[in-house]
Amino acid sequence: MSRWFAELRLIRRSYLSLWSLALLFALSALAVVSGLQHVARQHATIERVAKAQAQDFAAVAATHGKPDGDAGDAAYYSFLLTRDAPPPLAFAAIGQRDIQPYVLRVRALGLQQQLYDAEAINAELALPGVFDWAFVLVYLAPLIVIALAHDLVTGEREGGRLRLLLSMPGHGLWWRRIGLRYALVMMALGLPLVAGTVLSTAPLAGTGAMLLAAALYLGFWFGVALLVGSAVQASATAAAGLIGCWILLTLVLPTLANAAITRAIPAAKGVDLTLAQREAVHRGWDIAKGDTFERFFLNHPEWRGREAFEGRFHWKWYYAIHQVGDETVATDVAAYRTSLLAREQWSARAGYLLPGVAAQSVLHRIADTDQAAQLHYQDSVATFHTTLRRFFYPYLFADRPFTRADFERIPAYVPRAPTGSLPLAPLLALLATAALLLAIGGYRIARVSGAGRA
Amino acid sequence: MPHSSAIAPAIEIRGLHHRYGAREVLRGIDLQVAPGQIYALLGGNGAGKSTTLNALLGFLAPASGTVRVCGIDPAAAPAEARARLAYVPESVALYDHLSARENIDYFLALAGAERGRSSVIDPALEAVGLPGHAWDKRVGGFSKGMRQKVAIALALARHVPVLLLDEPTSGLDPKATLEFNALLATARARDVAILMVTHDLLSAVDIADRIGFLAEGRIEEERTAGPTGERFDLNALHARYANPGVAA
Repeated sequence: MSRWFAELRLIRRSYLSLWSLALLFALSALAVVSGLQHVARQHATIERVAKAQAQDFAAVAATHGKPDGDAGDAAYYSFLLTRDAPPPLAFAAIGQRDIQPYVLRVRALGLQQQLYDAEAINAELALPGVFDWAFVLVYLAPLIVIALAHDLVTGEREGGRLRLLLSMPGHGLWWRRIGLRYALVMMALGLPLVAGTVLSTAPLAGTGAMLLAAALYLGFWFGVALLVGSAVQASATAAAGLIGCWILLTLVLPTLANAAITRAIPAAKGVDLTLAQREAVHRGWDIAKGDTFERFFLNHPEWRGREAFEGRFHWKWYYAIHQVGDETVATDVAAYRTSLLAREQWSARAGYLLPGVAAQSVLHRIADTDQAAQLHYQDSVATFHTTLRRFFYPYLFADRPFTRADFERIPAYVPRAPTGSLPLAPLLALLATAALLLAIGGYRIARVSGAGRA
Repeated sequence: MPHSSAIAPAIEIRGLHHRYGAREVLRGIDLQVAPGQIYALLGGNGAGKSTTLNALLGFLAPASGTVRVCGIDPAAAPAEARARLAYVPESVALYDHLSARENIDYFLALAGAERGRSSVIDPALEAVGLPGHAWDKRVGGFSKGMRQKVAIALALARHVPVLLLDEPTSGLDPKATLEFNALLATARARDVAILMVTHDLLSAVDIADRIGFLAEGRIEEERTAGPTGERFDLNALHARYANPGVAA
C-alpha cells in the first residue's frame, strides 16, 4: 500500500494532474446536472401537454358528446395523448431524445402524418449533439487521459529521473501509475453519475453497466496512451500523437463511417412518409368513393356492405381515405424502418472497430434512448392508433350515435415497456480492444530501459 | 582503506563483454569492490564507464562474462540486485515539486520501505549535511550539490551495501567536491562498497582506495592506495590518465 500512497501523493502534488481531474469532475457534474434538467424539462412538457390535453378532451366531449353525437366528429376532434417519458437513466445519455418526439397527440386519422411532426422542428440539434454524461465520457474524458498519461515515461526521461526510478527495486511502477490515474479518472467521471442516479432514483444496476462501459472505454484510451508513450522519446511528440489518435478515433473515423453507412443504406425521412401519406389522402378526394372502399375492404373486409351513405360526404368514407392513405405508404414505412434498423446495426458493427462509437451505442442502449427506443415508441403509438380505429369504426360503419358516455370509453394510450438492455457484443468488443492495447502498451512499457543517459 | 582479499567482494565483474551492434564497447572487464572500499573507474568519453554501470544496474544483459552485486546477477534478478544497491546519477534529478524529505520518502516507498520511513530520513539528511531549513523546501530550487546530498541521503537511508555513482563530482565546485568526498568517506565507514565512474582524477585521488583506468572497453591498469595510508602519486596518475592505451 505504501507504494500506492506514495504515487497518490505524487499526483496530489502535481498541478497538471489535479487540475485535469478537477476539470473532468466539473465537466461530469455539469453534464449530469444538464442531463437532469433536460429530463426534468421533458417531464414538465409531458405534464403540461397532459393537462392541456385533458382540458381539450373535456371540451370536445362536452361539445360532441350528445345523445345523437356523431362518431366522425368525436374521432376527428379527439386528440389522444401518447408519451414517452424519459427513462430513468436518460439524464446520463440523452441519445435521440432531443431530436425525436416524446409526446404526440394522435387521433384516428392517418397515422403516418402524425408520427414525424417533430422531425422537421429541431433536426438541426442533431448536429452538435447534447452535452450529457455520455458526451463527456466519449469525447472529453480521453483528453484528460491524454493529459494525465502522455508523459508517463517521457516525462521521467526528460526530467532526468528515469534511470534513478528504474534503479529502484520492486516491480509494477508503470502499472501503479496507470492504475492510479485510471481509478482517479473513473472517480472523477463516476461520482457525479452516481449522484445523478441517486437524485433521479434510477436503478443502480443500469448505472453500474454504464460505469462498466466507461471503464472499458477508458481502458482503451489508457492502452493507447501506454502504447504511444512508450514508443516515442519526447512528451510533446507523445501528446501530439495522442491528440492525433483522438481526432482520428472520435471525430474523423466515426464521421466517415456515418457518411459511408448513410450512403450505403439510403433511408427516406419521416417527413417524406408524411407527404406521401398526405398525397394519398388528397388523391382519395379525386377518385370514386367505390374505389377507395374497395381498397379499404382489402384489409378490413368485416365492414363490406356497410359503406353506403347518402349525400356527398360521410365520415366513414373520410376515415377509409386515411386508412387507405396509411396502407398506400405501408411498404415505404417498412423500408424506412428497415433502413433505420440497418443503419443502427452497421453503426454497432462500426463500434467493433471504433471504441467511441461502441461506448456511445452501449450507453444509449442501456439508457433506452437510442433509435431502437424511438422505434419502440412509434410502435406503441401505432398499436394505440390501431386500437383507436378499431374503437371508432363500429360507430362509423354501423351508424351508431356517439354519446358522452362513449367518450369515457375511448381507449387510453399505454406507455411502452422499458427496453433498456446491456448489449454484450459491443461491450465485448470494447473489452477486447482495451485488453489488447493495455497488453501491448504494458509489454512495451515494461521493456523501457534505463540504459540511456537520462 | 586497504583492500582485503579475505572479504567477499560486494561488486564483482569478470570477463565482461558487451557490444552495441557491431561496436564492442566492453572487452573483458574484471573488477571487484569489497565492502568498505571506494573504487574509482576513470576513463574518457566512450570508454565504457556507463555501460559498466548499466550492467551492474541490470539495465542490460552482457554479451558474456559475469556481473554480481552481493552475489546476485542483476540481469537475471534485477529487483533482488537493486534491493542491495543505491544509484546516484550524474545529474541528480528529483521531483521538483516535492521537498527533500518528500522525495526521499517517495523513493524509499518505491524501494519497498513500508513504515517508519521518517525515522531514517532525518538522520540521513543530517548525515549528508543538508541544512535543516532546506529539508522541507521544494528541491526545484536546489543547487546540484544539494540535490546530490539528497540522493546520497536516500542511499544512506536505504542502508544498502553497494553504492554506484555516475560522475558524482561533475559540475560541483571545489568546496562541494570536498563535502561530497567527506560523505563518501562516511558511507565507506559504514562498510558500503562504492563504485564511482568518473573522469575527475583529482576527486578520485582524494577519496578512492583503488583506481582503475578504463580505455577502449577494458581496464588497462589498476592502482591501489598504499597499505599504510599513502595516497596516489598524482603526477604519475595524471600522465597515465592523459595517455590511455600506453602501459605504465
